[in-house]
Amino acid sequence: MKQHPLCTDCEREAEVMHLPIPEGLKREWAAIETRRRFLGRSGKVLGWAALASLFGESLLSGDARAANAAAKSGAAGGRDFLLPNFAPKAKRAIYLFMSGGPPQIDLLDYKPNLAALFDKDLPDSVRGSQQLTGMTAGQAHFPIAPSHWPFRQHGETGTWISDLLPYTAKMADDLTIIKTTNTDAINHEPAIMLMNTGNMNAGKPCMGSWLSYGLGSMNDNLPTFIVLQTKMNQKENNQPVSSRLWSSGFLSSEYAGVGLRSGGDPVLFLTDPDGVDRETRRKMLDAVEAINRQTLDELGDPETNSRIAQYEMAYRMQASVPELIDLSKEPQSTWDLYGPDAKEPGTFAYNCLLARRMAERGVRFTQVYKRGWDVHDNVTGMLPILCQETDRPCYALVTDLKRRGLLDDTLVIWAGEFGRTVYSQGGLSQQNYGRDHHPRCFTTWMTGGGVRPGTTYGETDEYSYNVAKDPVHVRDFNATILHCLGIDHNKLTYKFQGLDQKLTGPVPASVVQGLLA
Amino acid sequence: MNLAKWLGATAGRCIPKHPKTRAKWLAALAISLVLLSLPYLVRLDGKPHADWEQFLGRFHVLAVHLPIALVLLVPVLEIAGMFRAALREAAGFVLALALVACLGSVALGFLLAYGSGEAGATVTRHLWGGVVLTIGTLLCVILRPAWSSEAAHRGYPAMLGFVLLALVWTAHQGGTLTHGNNYLTEYMPAPMRNALAFGVVNAAPGSDSFYTRHIDPIFDAKCVSCHGASKVEGGLRLDSYEHLMRGGKDGRVIAEGEPERSLLLQRVTLPTSDKHFMPAEGKPPLTPTQIAWIRAWVQQGASPAATTLAGISIAEPVKEVPLQPVGDYSGLMPEIRAMDQGQGAKLVPVSSKLSDGLILNTVDAAASFGDTQLAQFDKFAPYVVEAELGRTAVTDASFDTLAKFTHLRALHLEGTAVNGAGLAKLAPLTQLTYLNLSGTKVTDATLAPLKSMKNLQRVYLFNTPAQPAPGADSAQNSQGAHDDKSSESK
Repeated sequence: MKQHPLCTDCEREAEVMHLPIPEGLKREWAAIETRRRFLGRSGKVLGWAALASLFGESLLSGDARAANAAAKSGAAGGRDFLLPNFAPKAKRAIYLFMSGGPPQIDLLDYKPNLAALFDKDLPDSVRGSQQLTGMTAGQAHFPIAPSHWPFRQHGETGTWISDLLPYTAKMADDLTIIKTTNTDAINHEPAIMLMNTGNMNAGKPCMGSWLSYGLGSMNDNLPTFIVLQTKMNQKENNQPVSSRLWSSGFLSSEYAGVGLRSGGDPVLFLTDPDGVDRETRRKMLDAVEAINRQTLDELGDPETNSRIAQYEMAYRMQASVPELIDLSKEPQSTWDLYGPDAKEPGTFAYNCLLARRMAERGVRFTQVYKRGWDVHDNVTGMLPILCQETDRPCYALVTDLKRRGLLDDTLVIWAGEFGRTVYSQGGLSQQNYGRDHHPRCFTTWMTGGGVRPGTTYGETDEYSYNVAKDPVHVRDFNATILHCLGIDHNKLTYKFQGLDQKLTGPVPASVVQGLLA
Repeated sequence: MNLAKWLGATAGRCIPKHPKTRAKWLAALAISLVLLSLPYLVRLDGKPHADWEQFLGRFHVLAVHLPIALVLLVPVLEIAGMFRAALREAAGFVLALALVACLGSVALGFLLAYGSGEAGATVTRHLWGGVVLTIGTLLCVILRPAWSSEAAHRGYPAMLGFVLLALVWTAHQGGTLTHGNNYLTEYMPAPMRNALAFGVVNAAPGSDSFYTRHIDPIFDAKCVSCHGASKVEGGLRLDSYEHLMRGGKDGRVIAEGEPERSLLLQRVTLPTSDKHFMPAEGKPPLTPTQIAWIRAWVQQGASPAATTLAGISIAEPVKEVPLQPVGDYSGLMPEIRAMDQGQGAKLVPVSSKLSDGLILNTVDAAASFGDTQLAQFDKFAPYVVEAELGRTAVTDASFDTLAKFTHLRALHLEGTAVNGAGLAKLAPLTQLTYLNLSGTKVTDATLAPLKSMKNLQRVYLFNTPAQPAPGADSAQNSQGAHDDKSSESK
């Protein structure tokens, strides 16, 4: 006897997902089904039930629309997203993330007048009612620490750049420098989440996931969104970076960033074990997929779709990743440009080179993390090391993209999660000083497709403490990046928890026209 | 001749032999000479001087209205005197008073210009206007007694008429100095402006003028953050032509035709360590090119309307070739999908707008995508705006197919076996702006046909025989792309 399809006690015949009913109903059905299975698995514990009803529905309902699209996948035209909203200037982006908070005053925000104020107290009026971090809130004095390094003007634009960045200085005329980036958070975790996901609390999708979700893949054999971590330098003050930063949040886990490891095999267990050839692997995956499809039909959980897609991607990556990381065919000019570090896997230089190779191979979004910028003390000891590790590779990447004709449609972004204070944390001497976290202004740069080269945007006050002109909040920064990729940040949305969620969050954000080409 | 005779006759009649009258003339001559030589003795050098000079000088703007009113009153009294004789008697007194007021105003005005370092064509005109006006008034004073005793003496009315004209002209110059160039005509009704024609010349700078295209953007980028509507450092605004020409609290900053005397150019060319150097506070200075443009523009009259300058040729920024919308390919959707499945090469829409066209993406099928595969995309040729054929197996034979991609804007052939022999076939692709031949075997010779493609802006030749061996010097490589633009697209 065939039961009513919406009966909660239905047997296998009830193929709700195949009925000609609205998508929304199917989605709800999937949610109910999934939750019941979730409860069944967890032994019907009351606590679980409460949890499930708290965030079960929307969390587990997942991305039916995308699942739908994925089911139709293979056909690029099959996507039902209307993105990009307009013809984009950049097809892909490379985000060089300087985790820890690079000190803008020592790198790109030139403040010549500070030299005369050495060891003077930062006026209270500048700091205002700001709540400082626990690390310096107790300090009796806030002695001004001018930069230890001289600045010089570079390029036709006469941009002031610290002597710490001789390579970055060479591309001064290509950069769009933003001096007034500012954030709401003063500590690493919330600030780095805000920068990446538009929200200080974990659980929202990061920029790369939004881009994968919105724009889709350009390459079936590599992930759309790849994360490269730079090997930790023990001498530096490293803040943790982990997969929460490239999580897809409430979007389907297909859109999460795929992290390549910084040492050894870039992807674990990617090579087939001895005795398993590619044919055998294929058969195994086909069988797994058949089982997964069965589960999908049974339960309609879109995450099953993601799982199928992930198996397939892993299979294809078995062939594509070895080619991606095989640098043996790189011409000598590459090594001359990136420097000797680039030959050692896991260095920032190596990752920049990989990022260029990914851009060539159609990876939509590559994020390279470099930790260690958290210079609370010993700035004069640490900064030269950090700059030596990053300055040349940044220049090499931009130059390499440019000479290969890739910079026209690739956006390169260099940013940390916040800046650092003008006043010294701990003791200030002529030789050394420390700098605490500073959210009110920090310097970032972009270059490539969509942004105006040779531009310095915004002005900070004479202490590089507050924004004097043209602030760029993180959400404006992100809206501008999306714009370069052809996306109206207000239109890339996903319904979750009753809101049209978006990368820039509910507070109005605007594209910074002054940065655009 | 007639004029000389008339002057001689007038002089004969007006200069009586009476020694007292002669003394009067000599005094007038002396005063005139002093007035005329003053601007030569104390040159307006465009540099500010003592503060007290400026302090007193600023009363010029107030005091100057006194002689204006008095001079205007004289003809009124003379005419009214025809009916009431007492008024005509007053005219003589008012005229004398006007002379005194004129002398005072000229002195104050000169203090103002000299003290605040004003210079430039309008100031000069205004100064000479004031001098001529004062001398004219002086002559009126001397000529009047002869006229009042004997109406046949026409010298006085003629001179008075001249003085009135000089007054109007000088006052207009003064108004221009304080209020800016088109203050009077700014709100003139359009028909009247057109009828008078002159409003057109003085109107806001045209959109294609050298000022609008090249000078204003410099100020906008480098100066307006401190010298603009929101922040008016030193009373100077550089956000419009009127403001620029009006100058700031140190006087005018542009002396038309005299770059050396233009305060603005002096300030931006000081040594960077000088405390008067602009832009201040370590902001990016003007580039040598920008300074050269401003200098040339000032040298040639600082005109708001001139569209070109002698000796300055600026390569126009590469114009975006207007995108030609492609036709409607929605009817081909099923076939496009079928191609995706079969080839592994995809046709991806550029954006949600159909008319933005399609991108041919071959990255998934690179190794097996050759000339035959490309030929199968013939049917979609007019809708493809970008062909990503990098690292595929296509050869020069494909240029025959590519020639049919009439809307092609970007062509990627990097890392292919192409040697450039077929590049000439791209000639009909007028929309093509980007061509990537990096890592191919193209040579200078095979690239030659590209020179005729006017819209082709970016040609990338990294790692090809057409470009010097890569590697040795990374700086040289870095400019590859831009060199290509200039050498290949011309």
